[in-house]
Parts: sequence; C-alpha cells; structure tokens
Amino acid sequence: MNITLRINGKEQSIECQPGEMLTEVLRRAGHLEVKKGCDTGNCGACTVLLDDKPVLSCSYLAVRAEGREITTIQGLADEAKQFAAFLTAEGADQCGFCAPGFALTVLSMKKEFFHTPSEAEIRHYLAGNLCRCSGYEGQIRAIKKYLEADHA
Amino acid sequence: MEILKYARPQSMDEAFRLISEQRGTAIGGAAWLRTNTKTIALGVDLADLGLEYVREAGDHIEIGAMTTYRELETSQLLRARFGALFEATVSHVVGIQLRNIITVGGTVAGRYGFSDLNTTLCALGAQAVFYPDQTVDLAEFIEKGAGAPFLLEKVLLPVSAKGAYRQMRISENDFPIINTTAAWTGSGWRIAVGSRPAATRLCQKAMAILGEDPLPSDETIASAGRAAADELQFGSDIRASAEYRREILPVLVRRALMEVRG
Ligand SMILES: Cc1cc2nc3c(=O)[nH]c(=O)nc-3n(C[C@H](O)[C@H](O)[C@H](O)COP(=O)(O)OP(=O)(O)OC[C@H]3O[C@@H](n4cnc5c(N)ncnc54)[C@H](O)[C@@H]3O)c2cc1C
Ligand code: FES
Ligand code: FES
Repeated sequence: MNITLRINGKEQSIECQPGEMLTEVLRRAGHLEVKKGCDTGNCGACTVLLDDKPVLSCSYLAVRAEGREITTIQGLADEAKQFAAFLTAEGADQCGFCAPGFALTVLSMKKEFFHTPSEAEIRHYLAGNLCRCSGYEGQIRAIKKYLEADHA
Repeated sequence: MEILKYARPQSMDEAFRLISEQRGTAIGGAAWLRTNTKTIALGVDLADLGLEYVREAGDHIEIGAMTTYRELETSQLLRARFGALFEATVSHVVGIQLRNIITVGGTVAGRYGFSDLNTTLCALGAQAVFYPDQTVDLAEFIEKGAGAPFLLEKVLLPVSAKGAYRQMRISENDFPIINTTAAWTGSGWRIAVGSRPAATRLCQKAMAILGEDPLPSDETIASAGRAAADELQFGSDIRASAEYRREILPVLVRRALMEVRG
C-alpha cells in the first residue's frame, strides 16, 4: 500500500506493508537518523515525535502515522545542536548511537515541563532511553545544565 | 509482523463484525502483537473508533480501550479520584515512548501474567465492557478469558474505591517479579496479586480476614499478607523462584494495605 507521511514538515509518499513499523519506513524514506537499536521496544534509540509526543518508532504501525506530524532529530536540528554542546562539554557521548533518541526525549521533556525538572524527574522521563556506553552520569549532568540554562 | 489484510473500521459495528465473523485480529497499540505474531490474516485497527478517553459517567469512570498508559499516568481525573495509584502502577513499564503507544484494551485482552495494570484494575473491582452489550467482572475475565472472539470497548471503575500498588523488579525496565494492589471499595477490601508469574488473581481468604473494617489493625493486616501468600500458587522463571515470590508477597501486601488504611 502507499501512504503519505508528513516528516519534518514535508510530505512524502512511501510504499509500505500494512504490518510494517515506522522505523523501517522512515529509514527507507532516507531518514537514517532514526536509529534501530533493539527493535523490541526496550531501548529508545528509535524515538521520534508524533504530534510532539515521543514514541518508539519500532513499535508504532507506520500506516497509523498518516495524517500526523512526524519529527525526527533532523527536524529539530538547531535545538539538537544546542543540546549536543552540553553533552560534549560533559563528555557524555561515546559512540553516539543513543543520542538522537535521547535528544528527542529531552526536547520533548523541555516542552512538557513548566519548571526545571528535578534529577528524579529527569531520570524518570528518560527511563526508556538506554545507553550501552556512557553510564548516564555525564548525560544527566548535561541534561540538567541544558534545562537549567533554558529555564534561567 | 506481517498483516496480510488491513482494515480500519469507522464504526464499532463494523469492527465487531470483522472480529467476530471474519476472525480478524484487533489491533490496540500493536506493541505486543508485533513482538509475538508472525502473520495476521486480517488486522482490524481500532484507531478510528473514538476509544481514547478517561471520563466520568455516573458513579463510574470509563476508560476507553484505546487509551494509552501515558494518558492513564497523566489523567487529572484519575489523579483526583485515585491519587497516584495509576501513575504508580504504570510508570515502571519501560519508558514514556512506549507508554504513549500501549493501550488499556491490549492489556486487558492479552491477560498477560506480568501485567502491572491488570492487578490494579482487578483490585479496584473494574468491569470490562465488551461490544455490543456484555459487561463482566474484569477479574473473572482475566481468570477465565472469553469463549469467543471479542471486542473490548471500555473498562469501568467504581469511583468509591481507593487503592495502593506495590511491585518488585530486578531492574527498572524489566517485568515485575511480583506485584499487588490493595483497595478499599467503600464496603470491603480487595487484594489482587499478579506476576506470580501467572496472571492476576484475587486473594479471597486474605480479603475475608480483613472483612468490612476500614481500619484493620497492624496484626490483621499482617495476617492478611501471610494468607495471600498461602492461598495463591506461584511459579519459578528466569526472574525469581516460586519460594522467593511467596516470601516477598506478604511484605508488599502489608505495605499496600497500610498505605490505603493510613
Ligand atoms: C517491550 C515491552 C515491555 C513491556 N513491559 C511491560 C511491563 O513491564 N509491565 C506490564 O504490565 N506490561 C508490559 N508490557 C505490555 C504492555 O503493557 C501492554 O500490555 C501490551 O503491549 C499490550 O498492549 P498493546 O496496546 O500493545 O496491545 P496489542 O499488541 O495491540 O494487542 C494485544 C492483544 O490484545 C488484543 N486486543 C487489543 N485491543 C483489543 C480490544 N480492544 N478488544 C479485543 N482485543 C484486543 C490483540 O488482538 C492482541 O491479541 C510491555 C510491552 C512491551 C512491548
Ligand atoms: S529500537 Fe525501538 S526501542 Fe529499541
Ligand atoms: S553513547 Fe553509545 S549507546 Fe549511548
């Protein structure tokens, strides 16, 4: 079947199978910034925003995304760059594979919270983003500083 | 997951017909289906049926089958009625990106052994409403299932109940080793235990020990916890042995009961 997806503000017509998940279809459409980690719904690497809400694209039916606004990390490149500066400053990135998913979840948290989230709130919000390299401490420091700077 | 034929019904009648007459497979969040099923002959997507809601209806709260876990977790209405119970119940399930997808309907219909949510729904005395016109006790459905293909429309919660949830996990994103919810219904106590690792059951003997006293003593609460562990069957799996589950449960039941009693 043929579906039309709106990805980062642009409409794209894509051939897909009815049972296909969004990760596959987005990657086939050229969006390789959407990472495929566990492909079982556990790691958060495949996170995209759907109408501004973070979802696991590996566990979301592609046909259902028709008519909705899909945002990948490319669609928020400027914000992602600002956040990346904080990650780099804290030495938080290693292989970087988890970074697109992490960044999208952080950007979504920034929109959702009207106050600077506490460390417990940050950890809770990001519980679905796994990183196999870093040990999280650097990332938590970076996220705190990024969000504090934003709410300052 | 392969879906040979995909249908997106626009009415409950049509969805029910596809499921009951053509043996279609209901698609909730699809997050579990995709991990489990290789080929679905006819997928019946429930996305367009208006089943995403948490709303008050008389002396009940209605939760539509397509309501996501994240909606339960952030619902002001559920918070006003049940405090942090729903947040406590679902917030350990992986991350918010998955909780923005997975549904109440897929959870109840699946009757999963590991379920956090089904334990709370059973303890609150929820009812499951099947389209077109069948309402059954949700705990009974979890135990016995349905004899024929079905379309779950919504879950009803009595507003008078209040409850507390306790669980134990090896790590944050894993399935629970054991979980329990204790609830005061306004006229009696209910205790449900799940992840034994088999599916949720009510603890009738423990509930009888507590009786109709809204303020049971610490001793009564402790003996209800022990009775719950004695009356249920537990199994062993990669996460924990049956003995371990049996040892842990009375502590969790006691803590949940004490939280509700105050
Ligand atoms: C990676 C992962 C980790 C998880 N971890 C946990 C955990 O720690 N604790 C926990 O409690 N749960 C956990 N779950 C399960 C989750 O909470 C849901 O119960 C599960 O995903 C089913 O919901 P769904 O919306 O994805 O249903 P689906 O996958 O769409 O459907 C599941 C089943 O229900 C049927 N169905 C769906 N909706 C209806 C309906 N309205 N009427 C009739 N039949 C219907 C489907 O045909 C299918 O058989 C996990 C799931 C995943 C994918
Ligand atoms: S790839 Fe989707 S959660 Fe891991
Ligand atoms: S930096 Fe390698 S997975 Fe996170």
